Amino acid sequence: MKEVNKDVLKDASLRLMFTMEEEEYDLLLEEFHIIQTQLGLMSKIEGVDDVTPMTFPFDVSIDYLREDEAKTPLSKEDALKNAKNVKDGQIKLPKVVG
Amino acid sequence: MNFEAVIGLEIHVEMKTKSKMFSSAPIDFKAEPNTLVAPLDMAFPGTMPIVNKEAVRNAIRVAHALHMQIDHELWFDRKNYFYSDLPKGYQITQQDRPIGKEGYLEIEVNGIKKKCEIERIHMEEDTCMQHHFSSYSLLDYNRAGIPLIEIVSKPVLRSGLEARKYVEKIREIVTFANVSDGKMEEGSLRCDVNISIRPYGVETFGTKVEIKNLNSLAHIEKAIDFETKRQSELLLLGKKVQQETRRFDEAKKETVLMRVKTEAADYKYFVEPNIPPIKISDEFINNAIETCPELYDEKLERFLNNYSLNLTDAKIILSNVDYANYYDSCAKYTSNYQNLANFFISSILGYLNKAMIDIKDFNVDPKYISELVDLLKSKEINSTQGADIFAKLIKENRSPLKIKEETGATLISDEDKIRQLVLEVISLNPTLPSDFKAGKTRAQGFVMGQIMRKTGGKINPAIANKIIVEELNK
Repeated sequence: MKEVNKDVLKDASLRLMFTMEEEEYDLLLEEFHIIQTQLGLMSKIEGVDDVTPMTFPFDVSIDYLREDEAKTPLSKEDALKNAKNVKDGQIKLPKVVG
Repeated sequence: MNFEAVIGLEIHVEMKTKSKMFSSAPIDFKAEPNTLVAPLDMAFPGTMPIVNKEAVRNAIRVAHALHMQIDHELWFDRKNYFYSDLPKGYQITQQDRPIGKEGYLEIEVNGIKKKCEIERIHMEEDTCMQHHFSSYSLLDYNRAGIPLIEIVSKPVLRSGLEARKYVEKIREIVTFANVSDGKMEEGSLRCDVNISIRPYGVETFGTKVEIKNLNSLAHIEKAIDFETKRQSELLLLGKKVQQETRRFDEAKKETVLMRVKTEAADYKYFVEPNIPPIKISDEFINNAIETCPELYDEKLERFLNNYSLNLTDAKIILSNVDYANYYDSCAKYTSNYQNLANFFISSILGYLNKAMIDIKDFNVDPKYISELVDLLKSKEINSTQGADIFAKLIKENRSPLKIKEETGATLISDEDKIRQLVLEVISLNPTLPSDFKAGKTRAQGFVMGQIMRKTGGKINPAIANKIIVEELNK
């Protein structure tokens, strides 16, 4: 298993285009260590390599598809409620392209 | 050294569904910004995506038209990236199991048919619309979540013209299948091009350049031809082609650099945990295929065989699915199919073009168009009267027969009346019969001109000609 250290986390966050404070990286690293310890424990279970990994916790599939019916959307006010800046009914943010 | 271009296309098609891919928010491109947004589209906590049945049906129809293997299970993935057009921080797409794979499309270039292999077709959601200004950007989430299908070709195209024909054919399929309105200029069909060049005979690929956001068929062709030339010139000068993203500058008619690619983007794809695998029955798939509206090629064959139209006219009418559907609606009320085609192309398209309106806004009942075509064909009215009635029809949308009766726009077809007029002309010009018999055919035209003048052009010319010849031969 690849060692997860602070450099790995910083590299991953940069690839995902965000950065964090140092203490946040420390906290995240602690959480990763807990996860890795648990995964290490699981890997010791006898015959675990013979089990096909599951994508979902239950082996379940559905056949439900939603009918294509439009329903009343959010009001414009509600849709924009969390926006810090609004201009002409649109969310305004610093320019995101050069 | 001569180079060949190696081109692959990624086409995004916005579907014409009533609601979005994973939410029930309505879709309307003309709506005010941020008025068609469901909580899911803005990634509000606790909201769950539910797959739109019609979007799946549409994707199956396109996959079938492209001769693809259709997956009987739907799986969705998250494509993670951090950008302002994606409130969730990821786009729901189908990375590992596209709904359709391994298909092909046949195009014809300069009379030669070519089978273009298609790698995959998958469903995903559109991002929000961003408007960029000098110091800020504005976001409209009405577009966020609109169902898309992405069609990815293999790198099998070799020229701008081939790419153009390929996109034209895809556009035909999605518009005739009623999956999308396919309007490139409005962004409902968007095309990204991947292009590299290599010396003829070489199997390996050169460095790939991506050209983004091409919004017309002409631009696709021009951008590829320019890019092929640009890359060839670089290699001939001993330089390298950079891996980069470019865009087409419409004014300069050339591609310009947007950004240099350092490495492939890492989207950390993983299966969308909020959508369990969805089983699609044979019945659903077959029904989607069987109920698919008639596609271009089938329609063309029918127009040629059932309506006996000539190829040029049929292609003009089929150049737009709404034209074809309108023509079909008119054809239910007449059997004068070629006359209908002539009228459609010259009068209706002429009018739409002049008035700059879409055929969807042309509100004349198709049965009235057929009635008018039949009146013209029977020569009960002449072309001038026909044009007058058509002008009234556009404004009033009512029976041309009634308009004809009210306006007195009718041709004189009564044989006795016409004969009387002909005899009057001959009696004033007694040498006409002998001139005619001596071979001076102008005599016939003279009589016709005189009686037309007398009646203001209201004589049925076919009947009049018959009578004139009879009387001049006496």
